[in-house]
Amino acid sequence: MASAVHLDGITKRFPGVVANDDVDLEVERGTVHALLGENGAGKTTLMNVLYGLYEPTSGEVRLDGEPRAFGSPRDAIDAGIGMIHQHFMLVDPMTVTENITLGNEPRKWGGIAVDRAGSREAVVDLADRYGFDVDPDARIEDVSVGEQQRVEILKALYRGADTLILDEPTAVLTPQEVDELFEVLDELTAQGKTIIFITHKLGEAMRAADEISVLRDGRKVGAVDADATTQEELAELMVGREVLLDVDHGTAETGEVVASVSDVVVEDDRGVRAVDGVSFDVRGGEVFGIAGVDGNGQSELVEAVTGLQTPDAGEIRFRGEDVTTASRRQRIDDGMAYVPEDRQERGLVMEFGLVENGLLGSQHGPELASNGRIDWSKTRGHAEAIIDEYDVRPPDADADAESLSGGNQQKFIVGREFERDPELVVASHPTRGVDVGSIEFIHERLLELRKQGVAILLVSSKLEEVQGLSDRLAVVYEGEFIDVVDPDETTEEELGLLMAGERPGEDDGDGGEPEATGGGDADGTERETPTDLTDAADGERA
Amino acid sequence: MSDAPADRADADSAARNAEGDGFFERYTTRALVAGVTVAVVVTLLLAGLLFPDSLAGTLADALTSRNTLAAALRLSVPIAFAALGGIFAEKSGVINIGLEGLLIISAFSAIYVADVTGGVWIGFAGGVVASTLLAALFAVVTIGFRADQIIAGLAVWLIALGLAPFASQVIYSSPNTPTVATTGTITVPVLADLPFFGALFSASPSVYLLFAAVFGSWYVFERTAFGRWIRASGENPKALDTAGVSVTHVRYAAVLISGVLAGMGGAALSLDLGQFTGNGPTMVNGKGFIAIVAYLFGNYNPVGAFLSTMLFAGLDAVQTVLQLQGIGIPRQLIRITPFVVVILVLALVGRTRLPEAAGENYETED
Repeated sequence: MASAVHLDGITKRFPGVVANDDVDLEVERGTVHALLGENGAGKTTLMNVLYGLYEPTSGEVRLDGEPRAFGSPRDAIDAGIGMIHQHFMLVDPMTVTENITLGNEPRKWGGIAVDRAGSREAVVDLADRYGFDVDPDARIEDVSVGEQQRVEILKALYRGADTLILDEPTAVLTPQEVDELFEVLDELTAQGKTIIFITHKLGEAMRAADEISVLRDGRKVGAVDADATTQEELAELMVGREVLLDVDHGTAETGEVVASVSDVVVEDDRGVRAVDGVSFDVRGGEVFGIAGVDGNGQSELVEAVTGLQTPDAGEIRFRGEDVTTASRRQRIDDGMAYVPEDRQERGLVMEFGLVENGLLGSQHGPELASNGRIDWSKTRGHAEAIIDEYDVRPPDADADAESLSGGNQQKFIVGREFERDPELVVASHPTRGVDVGSIEFIHERLLELRKQGVAILLVSSKLEEVQGLSDRLAVVYEGEFIDVVDPDETTEEELGLLMAGERPGEDDGDGGEPEATGGGDADGTERETPTDLTDAADGERA
Repeated sequence: MSDAPADRADADSAARNAEGDGFFERYTTRALVAGVTVAVVVTLLLAGLLFPDSLAGTLADALTSRNTLAAALRLSVPIAFAALGGIFAEKSGVINIGLEGLLIISAFSAIYVADVTGGVWIGFAGGVVASTLLAALFAVVTIGFRADQIIAGLAVWLIALGLAPFASQVIYSSPNTPTVATTGTITVPVLADLPFFGALFSASPSVYLLFAAVFGSWYVFERTAFGRWIRASGENPKALDTAGVSVTHVRYAAVLISGVLAGMGGAALSLDLGQFTGNGPTMVNGKGFIAIVAYLFGNYNPVGAFLSTMLFAGLDAVQTVLQLQGIGIPRQLIRITPFVVVILVLALVGRTRLPEAAGENYETED
């Protein structure tokens, strides 16, 4: 029997980039096939070809052995392909039923009116058949993200999909919802549906899939049986070399104190002390790490150090000078680089090209601007140098920042900041939401800077990261440093207890459940901070 | 961007929270405005009964007069039609602030066609066609060429504001046209003799047309697939696109419908008087902009938009009566009451929820 889906030698070129290079993919009916790869490896492009969003430059799509050409998603839908996008295609104020039937509403009265009872019944039947738990009358904006995803799947099934493509389906789910999703996938394959599952998480690919294909740089580099592989093998396929899951950072040659924070207090908007009397020094050639569960004052502390917030008490000295109230600009000019935790809000202007983004922070000169005039040719050269040096893909200085994958956005920011010739780098969650290869790359760069004698303040909720990179490691809890430890002499369990607020020496048997050994796995697990409410207010007329 | 969906999830939950509050706020404010209106009216009526010679008495008279209701209905026709049109366009994601211009062009064209052909209803149709053509131009510019909707909408207004009086000047040697026959009045026997509410049964045909349009619009949005597509097109056009419905077609249709509806309003306005006056802001005089306020206050609901139109038109009618009666308050002050109320209402109902994608041009990916 022919495969349900067979992509034969798919090549997709965009101007200047080969997104897919002669990729073959065969998926048997009734199986889950994981498409694994780093950010920007070409997984989504390949699936967009299958879904009719892109026409392949060359190659052929075959369904059940028959060659098919899709001019639009409509054609693909008609051929029984459904895609569940990373960003759900749902209309928030409409109900579950309305969303599922959108575009194919059952009609009555000669097509004039929507058969609302009929729509609801069709949705309930469908949900029952696959054992989905959805409320047909709830509005999308009122249901959980997991339920929204089930609605998306139902939407595809309602349209008669036999093959479902899921693009990073677990990125938005809680662990419980991930379990539920995998149960749903089992039920679907049991009923003869075929599933293609795009992911960059090794563990999930192994858990959910029957077969795994790995893409790297647009090429398929391997296809393995999920039961017969290991995480290490997959990781190696993904990045093309052995992954250094353990960073060897050697010993530190520490120099002068570069930055010194004493008794800093930062109050948040409600007057609560987010940072409550923190003191520490960072020396040249050392990585000072701050570990802790998100929301224990790390963001506020970083903002105080970088000049985005003025502390309510305490003093910050940088290269011997008091910079407690110094402007952000002055701190940049003095040699303080900053990799912000939210690259899309703070790190980049998403609608700008990389040329303009590379200028950010240097717009006052002297290198790229003088007398209020920007030297665009130098600026372009600067951006191109970053792209080249930091392996930003696609290598196009004119690409808008938003068109890049998260990992590449982050590499660009890291490049921009590290190229400032800084004395101090404040790196806040520098590898959040970034793929394995880029994580490793960013870590290496950080350690290189350290070797050059740069002081590094590293904040991360990934225990493995702070522990692996830091020379000294502070654990923050409710705005205070619980302890400063030598990371090499401390176990993960001990750090977990500290992060949960247990002071050293306290012998408290229970309550020691570490809340976040966050992101200890090698696949770039993401934890996201709540987006502020301005997003929510966008839809309101003020 | 691997982390974008998670951002979205957070934004969503934040949105839900804000939505929760907003929802509550929205409806309480609307209820408050409605409640205050009712309370003021009741107080006035009581005071008027007790002291017939006082200011309250005069106001109570004005409020209970069937002439006031008749005037309010007449005034609300162009505003409510334009508001319905605005709802169609904006729900589909195209903010049409050119409603004023559509009213102006149709008001003039209706008179001109009626004058040339001698048929009032042919004139009416002429007005609708003119407005629809201008709306089509707007649609091509904003949907076809993805121009900024606000700027294009202003252009529509300015084009009509200049073109209509100019055409009148060229054709009739005056910005005001000569008078033509009017649409007249349809009177329902017996019912028309009711006190106060009788005004509902002795009105211009355009009033009845408006009632039909309000119901029809409500029906389209609540019961038809096309209505859902319009909503989806304004909330999440990509969702509609991936569901296999062309966003472009839906938006064109919605904007053209807004042209038809606004055209009915403009034609009804001028044919009710039998003349187009083109001095200054023309006889339309901001009604298209008040229409925008009306549908926002009505929260994009056709019935809500009609009721809020009636509130403004009612105030306008009352102020006209008061001006005539002379109650010792300078006319100029009385005349601005409807506008003051508009500002108050807008300030109070500041959180109408716009369609998510309103004002954003949509590009398909392929």
